[in-house]
Amino acid sequence: MKAPKSLFSCLLAITLAFTTLPVTADVVLPSVDSKYVSIREINPTRDAGYVVGDKLERTIILTVKKPYELIEESLPIVGYEHRYRGQVSGIELANISTEEESFSDRSVHKIHLTYQVFKSGRVAKPAILRGEIVKLRHNGKTEIRQVRFPSFNFRTSPLSVYGEVNLKNEMSPFIPPFTISTVREYQIIKVAAGVLVLSLLGLLYILGAHTWLPRMGGAFAKAYRKVGHLPENAEGLQQSINVIHQAIHQVAGHSVFSNNIDQFLQEKPAYQPAKPEIERFFSLSRQVFFDTKTPLELGMPAKQWLRTFCRHMRDCERGLIPEVK
Amino acid sequence: MHDQQLADWRAQALKLESEVNKVVVGQQNPVRLITIAVFARGHVLLEGDVGVGKTTLLRAFTRGIGGGYQRIEGTIDLMPNDLVYHTYLGEDGKPHVSPGPLLMSGQDLSIFFFNEINRARPQVHSLMLRVMAERTLTAFNKEHYFPHMLVFADRNQVEREETFDIPSAARDRFMMEIPIVVPPAHDIMESLIFDTRFHDVDQLITNVEQDILKFDQLNSFAKVIQENITASPALRKYALNLWLATKDPLAYGIKVSNVDMKRLVLSGASPRGMGMLLRAARVNAWLNERDAVVPEDIHAVFHETIAHRLVFSPVYEMRRTEIAREMLSGIVNAVAAP
Repeated sequence: MKAPKSLFSCLLAITLAFTTLPVTADVVLPSVDSKYVSIREINPTRDAGYVVGDKLERTIILTVKKPYELIEESLPIVGYEHRYRGQVSGIELANISTEEESFSDRSVHKIHLTYQVFKSGRVAKPAILRGEIVKLRHNGKTEIRQVRFPSFNFRTSPLSVYGEVNLKNEMSPFIPPFTISTVREYQIIKVAAGVLVLSLLGLLYILGAHTWLPRMGGAFAKAYRKVGHLPENAEGLQQSINVIHQAIHQVAGHSVFSNNIDQFLQEKPAYQPAKPEIERFFSLSRQVFFDTKTPLELGMPAKQWLRTFCRHMRDCERGLIPEVK
Repeated sequence: MHDQQLADWRAQALKLESEVNKVVVGQQNPVRLITIAVFARGHVLLEGDVGVGKTTLLRAFTRGIGGGYQRIEGTIDLMPNDLVYHTYLGEDGKPHVSPGPLLMSGQDLSIFFFNEINRARPQVHSLMLRVMAERTLTAFNKEHYFPHMLVFADRNQVEREETFDIPSAARDRFMMEIPIVVPPAHDIMESLIFDTRFHDVDQLITNVEQDILKFDQLNSFAKVIQENITASPALRKYALNLWLATKDPLAYGIKVSNVDMKRLVLSGASPRGMGMLLRAARVNAWLNERDAVVPEDIHAVFHETIAHRLVFSPVYEMRRTEIAREMLSGIVNAVAAP
């Protein structure tokens, strides 16, 4: 009878040993003195509205002062699923990466944790990113301490509403109302407003300066077009000269005659390259309007010469240097 | 025929100018203007400071033009009869009457030089007004004619004591009022100080060749000029616009600094004034060897023929010279031709 009794004892001991093993693994170590560690956390910006499959990223920056050092093996492992009272929490660690920076008196560990939500419900429910526990070793001693990261509370949401839901009861104060994204519309309205402002400025310029572009539509540009439309006869020639006289008057701001061409060129030096032609124009004007005996050699019909002269003056007006022969 | 005559007389006119320019230096523009007045048969009023050479200039012209020359000095006690006759007691103890400066040269009177005309009383101005306009005078129960007479007068605007403003009606009889200023060139100013030939005016004037022009032919030749130098329709329109602008400068957008343009002009240029302007412009065209008047000919004489005819509000009379110059420059700048 003795043998079965000892066998029973052995079986009992083995059973006890196996049942107490997990308890031994989850043994609670003493916490490290807070003066040796400091923790900074960077949590997700949103704490509600997560549905199954969503990922939450948080970063823990753990600073451990000497003589303690982090036991890397105590960091949580990927796939670890937290349980609470025997029930899986539905939040699983999907990824972990660390960066370490060592200094003479401390080491800084930047721990990036990615959790994935694996649970869903009919209503919004609270959830938690567990405060992970890591272990620290006293350098030179066998003493092991632990430190617990702060937890992060958030809420999960159902993917869809099942059955009849009393919104009044089911509305979660933690989820902001879903809004349609208006970023694109805002971008469009900004671009449209910009185009509108530019168009108005353009319109203002066109109406104010009576021209499409800067340096265009000046007095001589208009005169050039008008002269081109006038008939090729004596009357047309007189009108052409008149048109050019008006353009010169407009540019100078006063009447210009052959005896104040130099004054005009001093005031408007852009027209200096055309001086010989300006003098010839006044001789032509004198011949046509006042004194037919004024000697003049244009080398081409007067109307054609006027067109050329007007084009040269238009070039001067636009800041170009005409090729005056 | 006329072409040759015009050319011959032009040579003489240019010679007269050149002779006068020898003795009166740095006054080319006034010399040209007086030449124009002589050939346009217009009286000339010179205006300027004391001692700038007004009298010398007129005496030089007088010598070159030839004919009878008479002169009188304007004084506050000068009376009209002083211009017509002198009374004196003769050696025989009896009173005698002799012709005054106006009558002394008879019809050959070519130049009557009235020095400092604004010192004379209005009665004298009144007499001169008639003589200048009609070139006749009734004295000793007889009508006296002065067909070749030109009046050259000068006035000094600096002194106001014991002077009488020439009324606008009398001013209008003068074809031109020419300002005489000291030439700004330093070399000329230096020679006026140190060149001794300028110190003796009587001697200086003798350097001008005498009787360059035939004074008794000037009237007929002036007519030839006026008949042969043409004015195109465009120029007529331009002159008309200038005239209208002198009457209503505001309508032409003309502004003068610190002047209320609505109140400024009481009367613009007179028809006689515009006629004289065109006469002078024709002579200028002839002197520049042209057969037709151009706007530049009008510009050459515009200020001198028009400025003294404008009648301003009394409040602006003290600034007359400055305002007239600015206003007429504004007119030339504003009125376009063609």
